[in-house]
Amino acid sequence: MKQIRTKKPHTSLLGAKASRRLGNAIIYLLLTVITVVWLFPFFGIVLESFRVESGAQVGYLWPKQFGADNYIRLLRETDFLRWFINTGIMGVATAILQTVFVLSMSYTLSRLRFKGRRGLMNFMLILGMFPGFLTLILIYKVFVDLGLTANMAPLGLIIVYCASSGMGYYVAKGFFDTIPKSLDEAARVDGATRLQVFYKVIMPLSKPIVIYTVLMGFMAPWGDFMLANYLIHENSRGMSVAVGMFEWLSRANMNEKYTLFCAAGVIVSIPVVSVFLLLQRYYVEGVTGGAVKG
Amino acid sequence: MATVKLTNVKKIYGKDTVAVQDFNLDIADKEFIVFVGPSGCGKSTTLRMIAGLEDISEGTVEIDGVVVNDLQPRDRDIAMVFQNYALYPHLTVFENMAFSLRLRHAPQEVVYQKVTEAAEILDITEYLTRKPRALSGGQRQRVAIGRAMVRDSKVFLMDEPLSNLDAKLRNQMRAEIILLRQKIDTTFIYVTHDQTEAMTLGDRIVIMKDGFIQQVGTPTEVFDMPLNLFVAEFIGAPKMNTFATELAHEDGKYYVKPYGAKIEVTGKKAAMLADKQVASGEIILGVRPEHFKLTNANDPAAIACKITVNEMMGSELHLHAQTENGDKLIVRIPTVSLDDEVRHSMVYSQTIYVTFEGKVMHFFDKETEQNLLV
Repeated sequence: MKQIRTKKPHTSLLGAKASRRLGNAIIYLLLTVITVVWLFPFFGIVLESFRVESGAQVGYLWPKQFGADNYIRLLRETDFLRWFINTGIMGVATAILQTVFVLSMSYTLSRLRFKGRRGLMNFMLILGMFPGFLTLILIYKVFVDLGLTANMAPLGLIIVYCASSGMGYYVAKGFFDTIPKSLDEAARVDGATRLQVFYKVIMPLSKPIVIYTVLMGFMAPWGDFMLANYLIHENSRGMSVAVGMFEWLSRANMNEKYTLFCAAGVIVSIPVVSVFLLLQRYYVEGVTGGAVKG
Repeated sequence: MATVKLTNVKKIYGKDTVAVQDFNLDIADKEFIVFVGPSGCGKSTTLRMIAGLEDISEGTVEIDGVVVNDLQPRDRDIAMVFQNYALYPHLTVFENMAFSLRLRHAPQEVVYQKVTEAAEILDITEYLTRKPRALSGGQRQRVAIGRAMVRDSKVFLMDEPLSNLDAKLRNQMRAEIILLRQKIDTTFIYVTHDQTEAMTLGDRIVIMKDGFIQQVGTPTEVFDMPLNLFVAEFIGAPKMNTFATELAHEDGKYYVKPYGAKIEVTGKKAAMLADKQVASGEIILGVRPEHFKLTNANDPAAIACKITVNEMMGSELHLHAQTENGDKLIVRIPTVSLDDEVRHSMVYSQTIYVTFEGKVMHFFDKETEQNLLV
């Protein structure tokens, strides 16, 4: 009988198993290198924040003398604590408001059919392609008149962060679209209002996306520099960490306050990381399993 | 427990896609109504309009004498079972079934009692603490039915509840729905595309096509006296054989002359033809596969045809055959009446002679496809 071969036999010098191992070894090596490159700045900042001997940027990484001096200076000599609290309040407020806006917007666009829905979605998509700072001058003018700058800047910033947040509906809408519509219908027949459907059926199934939205909202104020820098005037009570810390990197302060900057950076990462750790246990995939015939 | 009345119900999608029209139906209290038809006939749309999940474009839907057109689903006091079960995946089976009661703030004892009672009837007590994903398809469908049962609602709607199950489970669940119906004595509206389900479950069947009702009647009525060719072919499996032929009125007797045979119309059908004073002419003749029988070449009523496929179903043979001019026939022959010798001769391209009796024919107008006897 004639044999039909669809595939060439393995002809490399190594056996199939050995060559697979070699392939894996190369991949892991590459991944390790990438990881090191990626983590290096973080370690660098942590190490420098504990450096005692010099406040300036130095040519070596490992501190000659370890100590918490920078952290103590941070609390005693600077307004960092107030900036931190300001930014924290902004983070919490933005997280809550933005989550409400984004999720209700996304759910509406996913489930309800109304005139102009497509047009609205496209309009928001296109609008979102323009960089946010195009509106900077206008926002500044309006907020000066409203008195939402300087000391009141945190409130102004919360408004800016949340106001147009509903336009970032894509991710959450995409998620809601994957939840079968018949679940909504079953719940409505069972006696639920649209709002009850939303928080009794859809929300429990959307934990990953809720957490994603909360994290995005919470993190925004910590990283925003440009907009905050315009609304917060120098040395005002409404200072945020990003704007405040930037001052330490100016030419005049660099030699003294660089390690201070590193210490502040480490502290700033704490709330963001802890919020994530706190919420990540809800970050389970596959919660919709078993809802419908699959 | 309620009556449901649909008057001139119409559904238009977008500007001019008509899904349902001229839908008029009175459903009696505690009646089991089945909407049946091919996909896209508007049966599910009609059900969803009754449920309140689709807007009603025109006409009215009344439940218990109250027009519900503008009521939300939750205010209509209906229960519904969905084709894809639609269980809440984050809740246990117990909580899935209790969901509607909890929304109504029913006391804990009532919730417990109703859910356990329904679970017992459906034989799912042991799964009450599980999540839906840990259940098989059949169990999930039971939960979905249970969730609708605890409602004690006026109308029980079912949208193709069995079509996601495999054939064996489907037969089993069908029997259980018949039993269930005796236990929860309420008004049922059941949607299916499967004529067997329609025939076995319904008190009355509503056969739909292209958004129009084709016929409403008991299973016996629609089977024995289909109003038109569509109903005739849709109800009954395998489907009715239909062929264009001549109806002759000679000496006060009616004859049909399919494929050179001459068969006299007898019994009630002959009387009805005479009564309606149907004239000779070209008609469409319908004969159900089970009404054929084998005969021999000498029979003047014999139709000669060649076997193309022989499906051995166990208790009967389904013979697919072709007449001399290429028309296709399906003939059902009970195996119990066949000699082994004959049975083994039923092979591809073998010529057989079949005929049928004069009292089992259906006559349809060639143009309108309406039943000539109605």
